[in-house]
Amino acid sequence: MLWFHFMPYPDLPEDFNTKHRSVWVDIDPALFDSGIIADKYHEYIDQLVYAEDCGFDGLCVNEHHSNGYGLMASPNLIASILASRTSQAAIGVIGNSVALYNPPIRIAEEFAMIDLISRGRLIAGFPVGTAMDTTYAYSVNPSELRPKYYEGIDLIRRAWTATEPFSFNGDFTKLRYVNAVPRPFQRPHPPMWIPGGGSIETWDFCAANDFVYGALTYYGTNMVRETVKGYWDRVEAHGKEINPNRLAVTQFVGVADTDAEAYKLYREPAEYFFNRSLHVYPGFADAPGYVTEASVRARYKSQVRAVARSKQSKHDLTWDEMVENRYVVIGSPDTVRETLEDSAKELHIGNLCAMLHFGNMSDELTRFNTKLFADKVAPGLRPLFSEYSNDWWPTNAR
Amino acid sequence: MPGKQLIYLCGMAGDVGISPALAQLAAEGWEIVIPDVPGFNGASGFVPPTDYLGWLTVFWDAIDATGAGPCPIVGASVGGMIAAELAIFRPELVTALGLLAPFGITDESDPGLDLYSVVAPQRMSHLFAKGVPESFEERFADLGDEEAPVARYIADIASAALTWPLGDRGLAKRIHRISCPTAVVWGDLDEVRPVALIERWGGGTVIPGAGHLVEWDAPDDVAAALRSVLPDA
Repeated sequence: MLWFHFMPYPDLPEDFNTKHRSVWVDIDPALFDSGIIADKYHEYIDQLVYAEDCGFDGLCVNEHHSNGYGLMASPNLIASILASRTSQAAIGVIGNSVALYNPPIRIAEEFAMIDLISRGRLIAGFPVGTAMDTTYAYSVNPSELRPKYYEGIDLIRRAWTATEPFSFNGDFTKLRYVNAVPRPFQRPHPPMWIPGGGSIETWDFCAANDFVYGALTYYGTNMVRETVKGYWDRVEAHGKEINPNRLAVTQFVGVADTDAEAYKLYREPAEYFFNRSLHVYPGFADAPGYVTEASVRARYKSQVRAVARSKQSKHDLTWDEMVENRYVVIGSPDTVRETLEDSAKELHIGNLCAMLHFGNMSDELTRFNTKLFADKVAPGLRPLFSEYSNDWWPTNAR
Repeated sequence: MPGKQLIYLCGMAGDVGISPALAQLAAEGWEIVIPDVPGFNGASGFVPPTDYLGWLTVFWDAIDATGAGPCPIVGASVGGMIAAELAIFRPELVTALGLLAPFGITDESDPGLDLYSVVAPQRMSHLFAKGVPESFEERFADLGDEEAPVARYIADIASAALTWPLGDRGLAKRIHRISCPTAVVWGDLDEVRPVALIERWGGGTVIPGAGHLVEWDAPDDVAAALRSVLPDA
């Protein structure tokens, strides 16, 4: 059971959607108050530490750039703080967008440092990264993004496992001496998780290399059915076991004492997130070359997903739609547990990344949500899939 | 015995055939040779080169495969950038050069429209000042309803790969090596490559009322400008 934070900016104006083009890439820097951001960094880090205190197995951070709902330009900075302030929870950096690091050996070094400081609790995440983060905010050539990504991961794995310095002659990175110091605490290296958005290549990459696939979605387990099914099909095609611990899925969750109370409590932060801070200009989402021909071909054949995307991109979702479609799973502990258990069993989700803070949720409500989930929801979910081996969890995490 | 040959490198949006300006030259006896360039032809299985030199190699292989040259070469938009590179690095192959709003040099104070941040259905309208020609509205339509959108995406991958993120490939530092007769042509309503860039290319012909793919917007004016540098003009 993992606790996942976006670290959003909580004070975008109410008319943001009508006055501004996008929350991502070209968001107006004048909207940000540095005092608010400073306060929120401390508040959000404290929430992650509190999640460990409540019993969560893992804490997740992630990387975004030029973004109004994700203030972690460098998740490694936050992870290093968590490595020092916590002692039992896994620290999931989900993750570093490999093609943005030059040379990528920097990731091998920083992840190794986090793993050492935490004494073997790092989950090393390697997303390709969104088009907004990579091709627009960082101007990586979309055609080079994936080959750079794959080459970088190869370099990082070799840097972690090599027993002596070596030379690396890649298409994008050429190094006479590769000798990452320090090496990670976990041997041969920390578990590697690959967050993805549904590309066929990423499913195959995970299945072939025995990496955890992370179906990261804003729209909940209900909307990743197609993605998860595609992934499991590829796992099977590679002759690997359908072990739920190979999969992680994100889900917004709001727990309260009753269904009615949850409906009342979580409406505002959910509406803030989905209808204000998720206001992304569609032109930034699809740089030609960001997805491969195979994925484009699949996309054109998937009218169901196209319809769903169209609705989501309008940012006029009603609270009832968010609830009915399970973008946010809300309710009493029993209601939430039953819903999440159904999803976990149907999709074989071994790693649930619960997003218990979203939008402009207050610190008080975040802690209430976290505590209730830890005390009354997680215990019912934790025994699921206990019969499966788990080779994808950090050596020294709880 | 081949007639007078002229190599044409298409602009962003891919290979949609001979432009109206080039069609005028064809009617005057020029054989318009269009190299079959991976990516720009929309063909399935395209794997973009991992660097610019790889791209130049792809283009030069495609040009050499036509068997054309030495001869004039006309390049539009992204094709103009490649045509200029050809004149710089393989001058023995190029007897005259036509550059129609070429990529390759960018002014950071006015980089032009970021075409690929425009949602796909609206992109074509930004390439023309006088309406989108039918051949662009229906790019690769001959491949059928299922394959045509994939082919369009592949052609966009190729153009985007060569022009990302600002369309500058450092040509400002080497265009002094172009030695053949050269016509530079620009539409004054070009949204993608601001017309002021023509001065960075040494000046040329500015066509009022024309957009980025100027040889479609103003075929008569473009054909006239090209004739001025063609060998038997």
